[in-house]
Amino acid sequence: MVRLHHVTKSFKLDEKDTVVIDRISLEINESEIFGLVGGTGSGKSTILRLMTGFVEPDEGEIFLMGQKLDHESKYHLVKDTSMIFQGFHLLSNLNVIENVLLPGRLRSIKKAHNLTRARELLSFVGLEAFENARIRTLSGGQKQRVAIARSLMTQPRVIFCDEPTSALDEEMRGEILKLLRDINQTFGTTIVLVSHDIAVIKTLCHRVAVIEDGHIHQIFRLQPREMAPVSYEEAFYLD
Amino acid sequence: MIERFIDLWDKFGGELLKASLETLDMMSTALFMALLIGLTLGFVLFLSGSSGIRPSPLLYGILSGLINLIRSVPFILLIIVMIPFNRLLIGTGFGVDASKVPLSIIGIALYARFTEQSLLDVDKSIYETSYTLGASLWQYFRHFLLTEARSGLILSFTTTAISLLSYSTVMGVIGGGGLGYLAMSQGYQNFHYDLMWLIIIGLVVLVQLIQVSGNLLAKRFDRR
Ligand SMILES: Nc1ncnc2c1ncn2[C@@H]1O[C@H](COP(=O)(O)OP(=O)(O)OP(=O)(O)O)[C@@H](O)[C@H]1O
Ligand SMILES: [Mg+2]
Repeated sequence: MVRLHHVTKSFKLDEKDTVVIDRISLEINESEIFGLVGGTGSGKSTILRLMTGFVEPDEGEIFLMGQKLDHESKYHLVKDTSMIFQGFHLLSNLNVIENVLLPGRLRSIKKAHNLTRARELLSFVGLEAFENARIRTLSGGQKQRVAIARSLMTQPRVIFCDEPTSALDEEMRGEILKLLRDINQTFGTTIVLVSHDIAVIKTLCHRVAVIEDGHIHQIFRLQPREMAPVSYEEAFYLD
Repeated sequence: MIERFIDLWDKFGGELLKASLETLDMMSTALFMALLIGLTLGFVLFLSGSSGIRPSPLLYGILSGLINLIRSVPFILLIIVMIPFNRLLIGTGFGVDASKVPLSIIGIALYARFTEQSLLDVDKSIYETSYTLGASLWQYFRHFLLTEARSGLILSFTTTAISLLSYSTVMGVIGGGGLGYLAMSQGYQNFHYDLMWLIIIGLVVLVQLIQVSGNLLAKRFDRR
C-alpha cells in the first residue's frame, strides 16, 4: 500500500545539510496498522510527510497505492489518503460540520450527499449533537474526533496519524485509539501511526518500525492487545 | 441653531452635495482597486515571502520595496510627483478622475501590507492541512487562507477605508474636489467657519460609521 525504496532526505540545519532520513526502505501492507516509533527528532514526522508527498525525497522512490509519487501524481494520490495531526488542524473559523464538509467541498461533491455523509460520520465518532458547535468550545478529544470524521469523508485508503493522542489525556486517548481500530476493522483502511508512546503502539499496531537517526533500527511484529483501558478504574482494576 | 443650519444649506447645499459625490466617487474607485489589487498583491507578498510556499527573495524584495516607497513619500508630494503618471494613464493630470490614481495607489499599498500581515497571522500548519485534504493552490487561497484570515481582512479594509477618506481630503491640490477641499476653500479661506465645522463633524460621523460597520461585519464572519 505504501512503499519506500532507498529514500533519503536532508534538511539545512544551521546552514549545513543534515541527513534526516537515510536510505530507508519499507513496505506497508493493505489494511495494516503500521507503527513508527523513535526519539524526538529521529525523523518520524518527516517519514509521514514523505509518504503523503508533502515533502519530496532527495533520492529514492515512494509508491502510494502502487503508483509512484512525483510532482504531478502526488496531488491526486494524496486525495485517497488523509492525515490526522497531534494539533488537530481544524479550521478555527468553521464550525464542526463545516470542518467535516470541507474535503467534500474541495472535491465538488453534491451538497446534499456531502451533508448526509458528514452527519453519518459525526454520529460514527459520537458527535452528532455538536454539529453547529464552534471548534473553540470543544475538548481535545472532541476536536480529534472531528478531525477523524473529516479525514473519513473521502473514504481514504490510507490514514496517516502523527501523534494523534499526544495532546490528550488517558481517557480520551483510549477513545481515539478505539476509533482508529474500528476504522481499520470496518473499512479495511491502512493506518500509519507515529507515536512516541509505546503503549499506544502496542495496543494498536500489527507491526512497528523503530526509527533511530533516520534509519530503521528494527521492525517488530506485534499482537495487538485488548483496547487500552478507557478509565482510571479499569486501569487500576487490571493491575 | 436650526436656522443657521438651514441658512447654510440654502447657501452651500448644492456645493455640499457635489463635494460629497466627488468624495464618494474617489473613495469607491480607490477602495475597489485596493480590494482587488491590494488583496492580490498581499497574497503574492505572503506566498513569495520567506515563510510562504513559493519563496522568492527577488519578487518579494521588489514588491515590498515598492510598497514601502509609496508609503514613505509624504502623500501630498506623492500626488504631485504622480501628475505625469496620471496623464499617461488617464490622459489628464488634474480633476476628480486624476485624483483617483494616487488615492488608489496608496490604498493598494496599504491594503497589500495589511493583507500580508493578516495572512501571516494564520497558523503556519495550514498549508500542510490543505495539501493533505487534497486542496489545489487556488483552494488553499479560497478555502483555507481566506477563511481563516477573513475577520482580520475585513478589519484592515476598514482601516484602509478610513485612511483613504482622510487622504481624499487633500485632493484639492490637483483639483480633485471633495468634502475636504470644500471645507478648506469655502469654509476656511472664505471665512464660512460654520461650513467648515459642519464638514468636520460630518467626516467624524462618517468615520465612526465605517468603523462600527467594519467591526460588526468582522464579528459576523468570526466563528472563533
Ligand atoms: N522542514 C524542515 N526544515 C528543516 N529541518 C527539518 C524540517 N522538518 C524536519 N526537520 C528536521 O529533521 C529532523 C527530524 O524531524 P521530524 O519532525 O521528522 O522528527 P520527529 O521524529 O517527528 O520528532 P518529534 O518526535 O519531536 O515529532 C529534526 O532534526 C528536524 O529539526
Ligand atoms: Mg514529529
